[in-house]
Amino acid sequence: MSEAALAQKIDDPGLDETAAKLTPERIRTTINRVLQQENSARLKAFVGTCVSCGLCSDACHFFLSHDRDPKYSPAGKVKQTLWEMIRTKGNVSQEFIVRAATIAYTECNVCKRCVQYCPFGIDTAYLMTVVRRICHLLGVTPLYLQDTSHSHASTFNQMWVKDDEWIDTLQWQEDEYRDEIPNLRIPLEKEGADFFYSVIGPEPKFRTQLIGQAAVLMNECGVDWTMPATPGWDNSDMSMYSGDLEIMGRIKRAHFETARRLRVKRVVMGECGHAYRSVYDVGNRWLGWREMPIPVIHALQFYWEMLKEGRLKVATQMEEPCTFHDPCNVVRGMGLHEMARDVVRAFCSNFIEMEPNREQNYCCSAGGGVINCGPPHTKTRVLGNRVKAEQITATGAKVLIAPCHNCHGGLEDIINHYKLDVKLVFLIDIIYAHMHKSNAI
Amino acid sequence: MTGKLALWAGLGLLTALFVWPTLFVGPALSQDDMTHIITDAFGVKQRPASVFVHDEHNIKAEIEDDCWLCHHFDGKNPDPMDSSAGMPCVDCHPVKADPDQTPLMQAFHKQCKDCHLEKKAGPIACGECHVRP
Amino acid sequence: MHSIYTFVTGPLVWVAFLVFIGGLAGKFVYLTSLAKNKDPYVFSYLHLKYALRSIIVWLIPFSTRNMRLNPVMTVVTFAFHICLIIAPIFLLAHVIMFEEAWGVSWWTLPDAVADVMTWVVLASIVFFVVRRRVVPEARYVTGPKEFVILGLVALPFLTGFLAYYQIFDYQTMIILHVLAGEAMLVAIPFTWLSHVMLYPMIRGYMGSEFGAERHVKDW
Repeated sequence: MSEAALAQKIDDPGLDETAAKLTPERIRTTINRVLQQENSARLKAFVGTCVSCGLCSDACHFFLSHDRDPKYSPAGKVKQTLWEMIRTKGNVSQEFIVRAATIAYTECNVCKRCVQYCPFGIDTAYLMTVVRRICHLLGVTPLYLQDTSHSHASTFNQMWVKDDEWIDTLQWQEDEYRDEIPNLRIPLEKEGADFFYSVIGPEPKFRTQLIGQAAVLMNECGVDWTMPATPGWDNSDMSMYSGDLEIMGRIKRAHFETARRLRVKRVVMGECGHAYRSVYDVGNRWLGWREMPIPVIHALQFYWEMLKEGRLKVATQMEEPCTFHDPCNVVRGMGLHEMARDVVRAFCSNFIEMEPNREQNYCCSAGGGVINCGPPHTKTRVLGNRVKAEQITATGAKVLIAPCHNCHGGLEDIINHYKLDVKLVFLIDIIYAHMHKSNAI
Repeated sequence: MTGKLALWAGLGLLTALFVWPTLFVGPALSQDDMTHIITDAFGVKQRPASVFVHDEHNIKAEIEDDCWLCHHFDGKNPDPMDSSAGMPCVDCHPVKADPDQTPLMQAFHKQCKDCHLEKKAGPIACGECHVRP
Repeated sequence: MHSIYTFVTGPLVWVAFLVFIGGLAGKFVYLTSLAKNKDPYVFSYLHLKYALRSIIVWLIPFSTRNMRLNPVMTVVTFAFHICLIIAPIFLLAHVIMFEEAWGVSWWTLPDAVADVMTWVVLASIVFFVVRRRVVPEARYVTGPKEFVILGLVALPFLTGFLAYYQIFDYQTMIILHVLAGEAMLVAIPFTWLSHVMLYPMIRGYMGSEFGAERHVKDW
C-alpha cells in the first residue's frame, strides 16, 4: 500500500477486524466468483473498453474537491480496485481489500455522473457496486453500514424501529398536527385505498415532522391514502449499497407485497432518493421485474400532480432567495428535475439555479450509502465535496431545498463544515408552510 | 573496295536498326531515349511518372524483338502478327473505360506488374516505379 | 523482395482481416450470449431510439458537457478519429490495390489531402502520448500497455508516410508499412482498440437505460 493510502487510513472495525480474518484462498475464490459468475458481460465490456483517457475525472466531486487528485477520479478508483483484482486473478492482500472497500464504500457515491462524462458511457458506478459486492461477500463492510443492513434484515426497516413504535409514531404525528388541522387522519391499514404512503426509516426515527406534514398535504389534497401498520412500510434499502443483494431482494419484496396486501393502486414515497433507485432501478430487477411490479411515484411527482390537478393550492410564496439541489437518484435516475422546478417555482418567488444543475448537478456526497458508513467516514465525504459548498455559495441563496434524505444529511454536514449561510429544507417544509390550508383552524 | 562495301553495310545496318522500327512506331515516338511513361491523360497527377527506360528494360527482359508482347491489341492473347506499336495506349484504354475495356491506369499497372510477378523480377510496389525525383 | 511483398500483401492481408473481423464478430457473439445468460435485462432495456440518440450525440463534436470542458482534447480526438478512418480507406494506393485484386474501386482522396490527414493522425498520437505523461488523471491510469497500443496505431501511418516519401529504403519501408497495418488490425479485437465495436454496444445500452428508463440525457 502506498504512503498516501496509508495516510488516509481510517479506523473502522467493520473493515479492519473483518479483513484480518481473511485467508488468501477465501479472497481469491470470492473475487473470482463475483467477477466470473455473478458479473460478466457488462463487466467485461466496461473493463475491456476503458482506454484510460481519464476524461471521466471532471465528473467526480471527490476528484474536483481534492484539487484534481487522480486517486479520486472514477477510472483511478477502478484502477485501485477492480483492475488490480482482475490482473492478479484475485490474489490480493487483506490490506488491499480494506483499501478497496474504503474506496468503493466511502469515496464513491455511485451517483453515475461519470457515465455522462465517459465517451463510451462506461458505468463506473456499476463497477464500484461490483467491488462492494465482493467486499460484502468477504464480510468487509463499514461497521455502521453493516449495522443498517442488519436492521433491514431483522426488522425490515433501516433504523431498528420496532413494530409498535412505528404505529405509535404515526398516531403521535396524527395527534400533533390535529392541533392545526382538526380532521387530520393518518389512515392505517385501509385496504383498497388509492395509494399507500411509504417512507424511509429515518422519518419515524428522527424526522417525524415530515410524516405529519405529509399528512397535512394529503388532508388538503383530499386523497384516499393509507399507511401500513406492519413491516414493509420502509422503502429504504442500504443493503443495496452494502452489496447484500439477497437482503435487498427480501426488503423490496416486503415493500411491494405490503402494497399488494393493502390492494392499493400505487405507492407514493416520501422525499428520498436512494429508495427510488431501489424500487425503480435495482431492487425490481433483482426480483425479476422489468419495471416496478406496482407503480411507485416519488414525492416530487406527487407534489407536481397535486399542483397540476389544482388540489394543492399556493397560499403564499417564499420570498427568500432559494436554490434547489437535484438529487442524483431521482434526477439522473428518473428525470424529475423539471417537475421539481415547477413545484419550487410555484412556491418560491426568488429561485436561483445552481451551476451546473439538473442531470449535471454535483452529488451531495452522502448518497450511495456513504453517509450510512457513519462517523468514521464523515470527513471523507465532507472534504470530498468542497465543490458542492462552492456551488451553493455561488448562488447567494439563503434557502437550500434538497428533496432527499441522504442529500439532506450530507448537505447539513457540508453547510456546517464550510460555514455556509444557508438554511436547509425539504420541499415539503416549504409546501407545508406556504400551501393553502382550508381545514386549518 | 572492301572499305566501301563495309561502309555501305554499316550504313545499312544502322538504317535497319534505327529506321526500320520507326516504320512501325512512327516518327512521333523515339523510344531510344525514353526514361519515364509520360502521359497527359490523367490530368492532375498524384504520383511521379513511372520510371521506364524502354530499351534498357527490353534488353534486360530479352524482348527486344517482341514489341507485340506489350504493344498488343488483345491483352489476354497478344498476337505476334498483330502489334499495336505506334498507337498511344489511351486510344484503346481510356481513363474512364467501358466495362469491356481496361482503364488506362489499370492497363499500365497490369502490363508491368503481371509480367513482373510472373517472372519474379522487376518492381511491383507503388514506389518502386513511381520513384520520387 | 518479390516473395516477401507478395506474401504480406496477399495471404497475410487475408489473415489480418479474418482475425480483425472474425475477432470482433466472435467478441460480439461472446459478449451478447454472455449477457443473455448473466445480464439478461440488458436486452429488456435496449431501446432503439435512445440507443441511437446516445450513439449519435456522442459523435457530434462539442455536443456534450465534457467535450465543452475539454475543447482541445475534443478537437484533437475528433480530428484523429476522422483522419484515422478516412485516410486509409480512401487512399488512392490502397484503392488501386483493391481494384487490381478484386476489380472493385471507390472514390479516392487526393494524395495531398491524405498526406495532411496522416500528419494529423501522427500529431494527434504525439498529443495523446504527451497528455498521458503530463495530465495527472490520465497519467495515473496509463500503463505501458497504453503506449504500446498508441504505437501500434502510429506505426502504419509513420511507415506509410516514410514509404510514400521514399525516405530510407523504400522496399523495406513498404513491407514494414503493410506489416504494421496488419498488426494494428489484428490488435483491434484483443485490446481496447475494440472500442470501435464496443462504443456502439455500450453507448446503445447505457443510452437506452438513461433515455428510456431514467428519462434523462446521458451527456
